Amino acid sequence: MGKYVLKRVLLAFCTAFIILSLTFILVKLLPFDRPIGGDQQQIAYFDKQYNLGYVYRIKLVKDAPVVEEYNAKYGEYLYRSPVDRGSCFYYYKVPVMEQYVSWLKNVVTKWDWGYSKSYQPNVAASVIIMNRIWYSMRLNIISVIFSVPLGLLLGIWAALKKNTLTDHTISTMVMIFISVPSFVLICFVLRIFAYDLGWLPSTWPADTATTWTKIKGYIIPVFCLSFSSVCYYCRYTRAELCEVMESDYLLLARTKGLTRRQAIVRHALKNAMVPIFPSILSEFIGILGGSMILENLYGIPGIGKLFILSLNYKDYDILFVDMAIFTTISLLAGVVVDLSYGFIDPRIRMGAKK
Amino acid sequence: MKKLLAIVLALVMALGMFSAFADDAAWDGVYMDEDDFKAYIAYDLDVVFDAISGQLGEENLAKVEAAVEEGKAAIDAAATVAEVEAAYDAAYAAVLACVPTADGLYTYKKLPDAERTNILGILEKYAVTTGITGMSLYENGAYQMINPRITLGTENYITGYGFGTLAEGAITEDLEYETNPDWARYYHICETSDPGTLNAPNDQGSQVGDMYSYIQAVFFTNFMNETKDGYDWVPELAKEKPVAVNDEDGDGMATTWRWEVRTGETDGLVYTTGSQLESRQAFNGRPVALEDYEFGFKLLLTQANQFYRGSEFATTKTGAVVGAKDYYNATENGYDDEAWEKVGLKTYVEDGKNYFEITFTEEQTRFYAMYYGQMYFYQPIPQEFVELVTVKNYLGFNEDTTESPVDNSLSVGPYYVERYDSDQQVVYKKNPNYVFADTKYAIPGIHDKIFPAAATDKNATFNEFLAGHFDVCRIPDEYLNEYRNDPRTHTTKGNSVFKLNVNASNAETWEYLFGTDGVVTQTAKEAYWELKPCMGNHHFVQALSYSINRSELAVAKGRVPSVDYLSSNYMSDPENGMSYDATEAHQNAVTGLLEDTDGYGYSLELARDYFRLALTELEAEGAYAPGTAEAPTEIHFEIAWMYPTDEEDYHNQIKNYIETAFNDESVSGGAYKLVVDYWVGNTWSDVYYNKLMLGQYDLGFGSISGNSLDPIGFVSVLSSDQDISGNFTLNWGVDTNDPDAYPIVYNDLRWSFDALYNAVNSQVIASNGQNKAQLTFKYTPIAKNEDGTYTGSFTVASTLPDITSIEIADIECCNYERYYNGDGTYAEAPVEFTVDDQGAGLLVVTFTVPAELAEDYATGSGTSAEPKGDTGFDLYYNLTFNGVTQSGLYYSVTDNFEVPEAAEAPAEAEEAPAETEEAPAETETAA
Repeated sequence: MGKYVLKRVLLAFCTAFIILSLTFILVKLLPFDRPIGGDQQQIAYFDKQYNLGYVYRIKLVKDAPVVEEYNAKYGEYLYRSPVDRGSCFYYYKVPVMEQYVSWLKNVVTKWDWGYSKSYQPNVAASVIIMNRIWYSMRLNIISVIFSVPLGLLLGIWAALKKNTLTDHTISTMVMIFISVPSFVLICFVLRIFAYDLGWLPSTWPADTATTWTKIKGYIIPVFCLSFSSVCYYCRYTRAELCEVMESDYLLLARTKGLTRRQAIVRHALKNAMVPIFPSILSEFIGILGGSMILENLYGIPGIGKLFILSLNYKDYDILFVDMAIFTTISLLAGVVVDLSYGFIDPRIRMGAKK
Repeated sequence: MKKLLAIVLALVMALGMFSAFADDAAWDGVYMDEDDFKAYIAYDLDVVFDAISGQLGEENLAKVEAAVEEGKAAIDAAATVAEVEAAYDAAYAAVLACVPTADGLYTYKKLPDAERTNILGILEKYAVTTGITGMSLYENGAYQMINPRITLGTENYITGYGFGTLAEGAITEDLEYETNPDWARYYHICETSDPGTLNAPNDQGSQVGDMYSYIQAVFFTNFMNETKDGYDWVPELAKEKPVAVNDEDGDGMATTWRWEVRTGETDGLVYTTGSQLESRQAFNGRPVALEDYEFGFKLLLTQANQFYRGSEFATTKTGAVVGAKDYYNATENGYDDEAWEKVGLKTYVEDGKNYFEITFTEEQTRFYAMYYGQMYFYQPIPQEFVELVTVKNYLGFNEDTTESPVDNSLSVGPYYVERYDSDQQVVYKKNPNYVFADTKYAIPGIHDKIFPAAATDKNATFNEFLAGHFDVCRIPDEYLNEYRNDPRTHTTKGNSVFKLNVNASNAETWEYLFGTDGVVTQTAKEAYWELKPCMGNHHFVQALSYSINRSELAVAKGRVPSVDYLSSNYMSDPENGMSYDATEAHQNAVTGLLEDTDGYGYSLELARDYFRLALTELEAEGAYAPGTAEAPTEIHFEIAWMYPTDEEDYHNQIKNYIETAFNDESVSGGAYKLVVDYWVGNTWSDVYYNKLMLGQYDLGFGSISGNSLDPIGFVSVLSSDQDISGNFTLNWGVDTNDPDAYPIVYNDLRWSFDALYNAVNSQVIASNGQNKAQLTFKYTPIAKNEDGTYTGSFTVASTLPDITSIEIADIECCNYERYYNGDGTYAEAPVEFTVDDQGAGLLVVTFTVPAELAEDYATGSGTSAEPKGDTGFDLYYNLTFNGVTQSGLYYSVTDNFEVPEAAEAPAEAEEAPAETEEAPAETETAA
């Protein structure tokens, strides 16, 4: 088992490494983002890029043959400053792989993920992420705590009342709500509860808000985040439970004299939970991921929103840390879910020898 | 007898009919009959006459009138389209010949504001007539809703100032939504994103600058006047308005100005911070010292600090400060006190008073000394504070975010930073130590919420306002009808006019500007823009302009329709707050555009007439061939837009206007069909940087905002000369330094746009009406002599030899590459030269390079085996122009010595210098 776990963790690490490397290289392969403005702005911008190690800066005589040599070596220059005393600065893009090696070296040897260039200039990218990750985590933990029991209860209720009006109502509502895109739901809830009724804050309350306002501030995002999960668990639990309740061993249990309640609680629920539990675990780990749309619309300063902001600002150092977190979470979730099967279902023994 | 009379009559009638028939038969214009065509062409002559007649002297006026009349007669007598066009061209040339061109040195900078405004009107008229302004659509003024709890400084928007909300306004009720009672009376606004810093000196956009302005005080500021219909200039950090130091001729202009400034010692001016950190608290209440004023500039201008606005300030041409550029260039590695000594920014104490003194490179009036002294990105700051927080973190966060802008800023402005919660809010609190704290800025604070939803949802801010969360918002288009007359609604004036910019270049112009060796940018052959002949036809562009119903378009979008180039924000007299819009000069400039239209340049009839006129001309030129009603010839052109939503918001409507006007049966009888295509980039700036500035478009949506207090300076962006426009030209097709392209007459003299622009903004050396440099240089490449020495020469010509004298100081042979690439030494050596004064301002300077030096330099930075690069030749000279002497000027060229034959250089490398040897022969550059 230990070997299996180690193998899975190592594989996850390799996958993360490949994903992050590809992300870095692909992002850096994008056309160089030239700044807005005249020569002063261009020079100032390229000098900063030079200091960051992303461009070469070479002073040459304007249009001298040697420029062609550099062009051949580094590709067409990105920018040429105005001529002063017959010469000017030529800026060339540092080869992507060289940038990659520097970046990797900094991450591995110094745990330095770089600095924000435009979103929060000069602030370490990892610090920016750490300052925001707790907002996403808090919100998602509450959301899981709220959605899992509710989804399970509704699913159990629907299964127990199978083919009755209650079951049909729950199932229909679940189908409707599971089909509604999250941003529609968010806008809808905002419109009614924040703007029309004015019961809840229309944006995420700032850290300086009162406790009561902060509590109210959780209602809309938690509700919106939980909605699809509740529907999912409800549907899944109902299906699993219905299947178990029709199984022979449950019939046997009933015929042996167990009451319906005893049979359901002791046998049906326990067995129905086998495929459901890993998904709860996966959901619980995924809480770190946040929700990009919700965070953006509700103004939550989490890492989901940060991902979009870093893209908009072309602040790639932040993007890479954010990407690393999302990748790690996804891969860890996969590993933990796989491992959890073994604990939940004694029939599954991963890595065990015959 | 009667019979005879009848026969004669019949003969006469037959002759007349034949004559009429013969006339009709000769006329080859298909889409417009002869009389109408001639009338429109003759009208063009009238427009030329109107444009120049006001500035003509009696004698020239008479000549021009005669030339116009003759021209009209010739147009009338012409029988074909080509003949009419030729008659117009001849008349146009005759008109030009009547007016002498400006020649000599001119400056109109010292003229009174009213006269300079007239010149602006002349420049504007030229620009709108030639189409280099593009087609204005609307001004970005808007309908704004303001929370009734706010008492505005004035209910009527003051152009260039606003409603005086913060400075003169007040808040009389709490905002119920605000849970922090201390902030209930703060002014609640929002930002769509968190800039993460308040470091305006290091920011390119306007957002950070706006936020920084709350904590900033400047030398001179604006406050609303007593009658609440304008604003006054008021010393803020200064104690008085600028006083000229060297106005020797008493004309009110000087290069050096000074003003007394407030300090802690004399006026109790102190810094304020909201930081609770002990190290920062030490600065709370710290008196402002005189040297802090100087350090604020030093911080900005030191290149090592890498402040965007520092490099901009160092290299600006308008309002440039003596020595600023040199200091910037000398401070790559940090502050340089020795270099600072030469910068025209000084503080000193005289008679117990503290003075700040500024020396500009050009003479300025008192107003402009005050205006440039306003310094949007500057404020005094103690050096020890910056050293404490570090330049990198100044006005921002530190690396681990334990310090925020609250801790890393000091305020002398009306507010200070109370809180900065990333991605949540920035809160400012009234600064009790502000100079005018007792009389201005009654509102106790500003709550600036970070509200990203507003970036993607145009109704988000409006919803927040209606819910009582914000104090101000713009009304979205779809709610305009509902809220336009709401008592909370106010109208604002815009600061920019949005336009469809026009690429009217012909193939030759485009090649010159954007071709493989273009002067603006260099384009690969395969990326050449496919120019549309119709866009080069002035009448076609006029027709496009007439076809757009600006009024309908703008009103539907809650904007202000406009045919003007400058928005109503621009001031003709900034000191007294007089809008340029209201001046007669402006009215005269745009009258022609509005004639027979709805008041905003829209007339379907005129549009169709001009389309007919254009098609007639284009067909006569052979640019297009007609199709049939079943298979019409399709004319396509493209409009480039900023945002994907522009297709729905603007393009479809404008396309509909244009196509409706052109594709009407009455225009070409179905022989042509116009199709307007659509383009949009990934980000808003793509239209500027990938289309407009590179000539890769037909029509392109966009706008440039300038300084509203300096409209005469702002029209620089209309120039086709990139040195004048600062690379911000958006409309192409007219050479603005060609006085014959379209006449500009001022003071009975004919000018190019560039020449008159320079004359009114600083000074111009005009030659044949064109803007010229003081000197032109021609380099004759070095040639090897038998003894191994090299001889080359510079020919220096003065444009105005009578007032120009040149002293050649030195010629240096420089190996730039060796210096920059490798060994750290500056390989520069003087060479011998002789000067041959050929008279009439022409000098021929011949120099000789010793054989040893030539051999040493022949390889550039490389080796004999692998030569690299060129050698530079610097001609140093002192110039005395119009009594003013400038020393240490230079003109540089590059050239190559022959690589010694013994060298085993690769064939390719050997060939390279040979190619470049020829290039300098054609080098003729203005200095």
